[in-house]
Amino acid sequence: MAEDRKVKDAPVAGGTKKAGALNRFDNPWLNWKFLTGAGILGFMFFLIFLGYQLWDTNLALSARAPLNLPPVGFTNWRGQEGIPEHPLGTENSGRDMLAMLIVGTPRTVFVGVIAATVGMLVGILLGFMAGFLGGLFDDVIRLATDITITIPSLLVLIVIQSVLGRVDLVTMALLISLFTWATPTRYIRAQVLSMRESGYVQMAHLSGVPVRDIMFKEIMPNLLPYLAASYIGNMTGAIISAVGLEVLGFGPQRIPSLGVAIFFSIEAGALFRNMWWWWGLPTVILAIVFVSLLLINLGLDEIANPRLRKAA
Amino acid sequence: MEKQKENGSDRIVLKVDNLRIHYATPQGDVIAVSGVSFNLYEGETLGLVGESGCGKSTTAYGILQLVQPPGYIVHGSIEVDGTEVLNLTEEELRKFRWTGLSLIPQGAMNSLNPTMRVKDQIIDVIESHEGKQRDKEAMRERIFELFQNVGLPNRIYNMYPHELSGGMKQRVCIAMGVALHPTVVIADEATSALDVVVQRIVAQTLIKVKDEIGVSLIVIGHDMGLLAQIVDRIAVMYAGKMVEIAPVENVYANPLHPYTQLLIDSIPSIKERKPLKITEGITHDPRNPPSGCIFRLRCPFAWDHCAEVEPPPLQVEEKHEVACHLFDEQFEERRADAFATIANP
Amino acid sequence: MGGISLNYLVRRLLVFFLTLWVAATLIFIIPRLAPGDPISAMIARLSYQAGFVENSDQIIEGWKERFGLNDPIYVQYFRFMGGILQGDLGYSLARFPSTVTELVGRALPWTIGLVGIATFIFFTVGNLCGALLVWTKSPKLIKVLIPMSMIFTSIPPLLAGLLLVYVFGFLLELFPQTYAYSYKFARPEFTIDFIANVIHHGFLPAMAIVLVTFGYWALGMRGMMVTIEGEDYMILAQAKGLKPFYVLYRYMIRNAILPQMTALAVSIGTLVSGSVLVEVIFNYNGMGTLIFTAIREQDFGLIQGTSFILITTSALAVLIIDLSYPLIDPRISLEGR
Repeated sequence: MAEDRKVKDAPVAGGTKKAGALNRFDNPWLNWKFLTGAGILGFMFFLIFLGYQLWDTNLALSARAPLNLPPVGFTNWRGQEGIPEHPLGTENSGRDMLAMLIVGTPRTVFVGVIAATVGMLVGILLGFMAGFLGGLFDDVIRLATDITITIPSLLVLIVIQSVLGRVDLVTMALLISLFTWATPTRYIRAQVLSMRESGYVQMAHLSGVPVRDIMFKEIMPNLLPYLAASYIGNMTGAIISAVGLEVLGFGPQRIPSLGVAIFFSIEAGALFRNMWWWWGLPTVILAIVFVSLLLINLGLDEIANPRLRKAA
Repeated sequence: MEKQKENGSDRIVLKVDNLRIHYATPQGDVIAVSGVSFNLYEGETLGLVGESGCGKSTTAYGILQLVQPPGYIVHGSIEVDGTEVLNLTEEELRKFRWTGLSLIPQGAMNSLNPTMRVKDQIIDVIESHEGKQRDKEAMRERIFELFQNVGLPNRIYNMYPHELSGGMKQRVCIAMGVALHPTVVIADEATSALDVVVQRIVAQTLIKVKDEIGVSLIVIGHDMGLLAQIVDRIAVMYAGKMVEIAPVENVYANPLHPYTQLLIDSIPSIKERKPLKITEGITHDPRNPPSGCIFRLRCPFAWDHCAEVEPPPLQVEEKHEVACHLFDEQFEERRADAFATIANP
Repeated sequence: MGGISLNYLVRRLLVFFLTLWVAATLIFIIPRLAPGDPISAMIARLSYQAGFVENSDQIIEGWKERFGLNDPIYVQYFRFMGGILQGDLGYSLARFPSTVTELVGRALPWTIGLVGIATFIFFTVGNLCGALLVWTKSPKLIKVLIPMSMIFTSIPPLLAGLLLVYVFGFLLELFPQTYAYSYKFARPEFTIDFIANVIHHGFLPAMAIVLVTFGYWALGMRGMMVTIEGEDYMILAQAKGLKPFYVLYRYMIRNAILPQMTALAVSIGTLVSGSVLVEVIFNYNGMGTLIFTAIREQDFGLIQGTSFILITTSALAVLIIDLSYPLIDPRISLEGR
């Protein structure tokens, strides 16, 4: 009778659940998504660094190579075969694809870094001010973020760029950052508001800690993983905007970035001449960049929010 | 007490035997409930008390099969009207729920689905156990009757939870809990989040409904004063163990277990001012409980035997058990000494 | 069901009208901030391309007069705003007799159709996937397949469009590569044949948006579901012995979808930007292709008009979502925010 009552078997029920529970208490930064994303991106930049050392980057300029060559091992529509001098092929104005990728990838990421950084700094400033000052200032900031988020940024950028014409990458990045501040501002404002109400900040306030110290010593450290995730998300958005503008023909064209390469290929009808290497290689590189940024972002999310780790 | 006589049925409706529940952590399992056994009789109201973290809520959720991960039931037996709950398949368990065991949750602040009307949340539990109800009018009458039982106005029928006060939400939970006339209802700190006046009213409602419908009730709480007025027996838990279970008048008039004595002593009284005796909570590491008696580290009467042998529950009277060596016949002398100390501190 | 609170309504309308005003003002100011005036700049670029434009000074003067560029700037501003209020967006410079309103009127329905249907698909599929990822009862296989299908998430729709048109349009020839319907139809008509043709043409562009977007929604939904799993009412739902599927949709999805609706309103801008580029890839006859053509033809009036109408449409979509939110969240009618 007593034996019958032991209906649940301890080791089985306990074993699996214990393993699941253990993961949640591990070092949060040892997150496979974060590490994979960062690893891919790191490796890519290592290859680019190697490329700068080993490959002639001047080949990215026009008329430095034979036209329309396919990558090694393939044949183009004229029956020409790829040659080792240009292992990834060339395009129709005589640029070497390998050189173009080596030069173009960091340029594309660079635009994202600048726009995201500017956006983030403005966002931190406005978000904290709106959250702490409140009142009219907060109302104005809220309205401004709502409006900026509602407007499809690409359209305003198109209007600006169709007046300015083609611009250099830094200008383009700064133009994009006209829109990248809104999301971080809204996010940080909300976080600051909720943290301001939390017990530990109230305690600090009551014990006479200056507001500046509360902001930077109490709230900032808790926000860091969120800010990092938001930064990466912003960077993705900025790169998407930049590539979009470039594909519409607004990019700097002498030294192309990846989006400009795609623009050239569309203009030349590469899609229908089966010159897949021309648009395909930049597309794949961009896809890898985006996927690794997403992995980093997801990883940071899980680092910031332990509940998500449980579900993963 | 008359209540005692009224509810003095000897039929056991819930039999919990040697229930053990752990919470998994990387540093090892935390023992939340460590071999709890007790019976609940038909029509009885049992109070489950103890300080925070003593495992009273976990015991209740264990009985309901609602222990949330990383918690898990290690072993034990829970019989409701002869049905072994732990042996039910998932679908059997789903059907058994609310008809066999129902829950009146704590606070009721977030226990109601915010996007469903009150009526829909009561209808859904009825329909998922009794099938689709075609007669909408009868259903409405049935819900109005439930509302009336718990003193709710009919106008809340179509309201959303956020439109109700805390006390009303708690009543909705009570109405919902008894909607299917379950065998056993477990009220988990059902009055804790309410203000004192509402607490009393809700507690009275609970007892009234219980008597009308004739269910057995387990009330979890830490307000000893409130519990004294509504329960028939009290079960005292300490660090995952049940140290004493006794008719309510015995507990207050003549607490036996040293921990129960401490707990009763801690009830504030207007008549006399006395220093609070409970100075600290559970002191040992819940992963490595001490050998022998769980309470010996804080027990003023502990001696070496307490460290060696775990005290089994000793039946001292009908429906009164206590897990303490002092009440073993062979240690009668010690008991006399100990109680002498209490009388003359 | 409570009505929409005044505060909420006023705030949403304020954002809507301010957005339109800001967009119109930006579109008015930007060309005037540039060195020179837009007409000279355009003629200069034209002559740069064509080598030489005869009588360019006269042309510039003529255009300036016609567009009222010699008036004081505030007069120009009020005339511009007045025109917008009357739905008059001026003339297309490159296709002169056509007004911008006319061209936009032809393109806008296609864009709304494409983006609307794509949004419906990715929002439904994405949220369902996210919910199934968390639900304890969903088959193991689903929990493996969904994350795998999310690999494209965060790639811009533009790049997805390129890959799709190459693989399914060019290599496999399963779908048409360009335009919203075949040339055999002179104009849109309401026949089964035509509708089938439109769906055939719209499939790849819509997929380009859906494939890279639904994963984002699945991730968001997953996060919400995890939060909701820990709510008190979920424990009560379990205790009540409700059927698992009922708990999934009535307790979990019903509550998790609310923040997702807010997120949808926030993402409309990005979505429209993305679909403009997808249209360019597929030469789809919507607003994106119109604006791309305008860019190439240096048709500044058309760029302005198209942008403004797209911004208006986005703001309207956001407004509709925001105003329908109180209908699905019973709590919002009491709170001012």
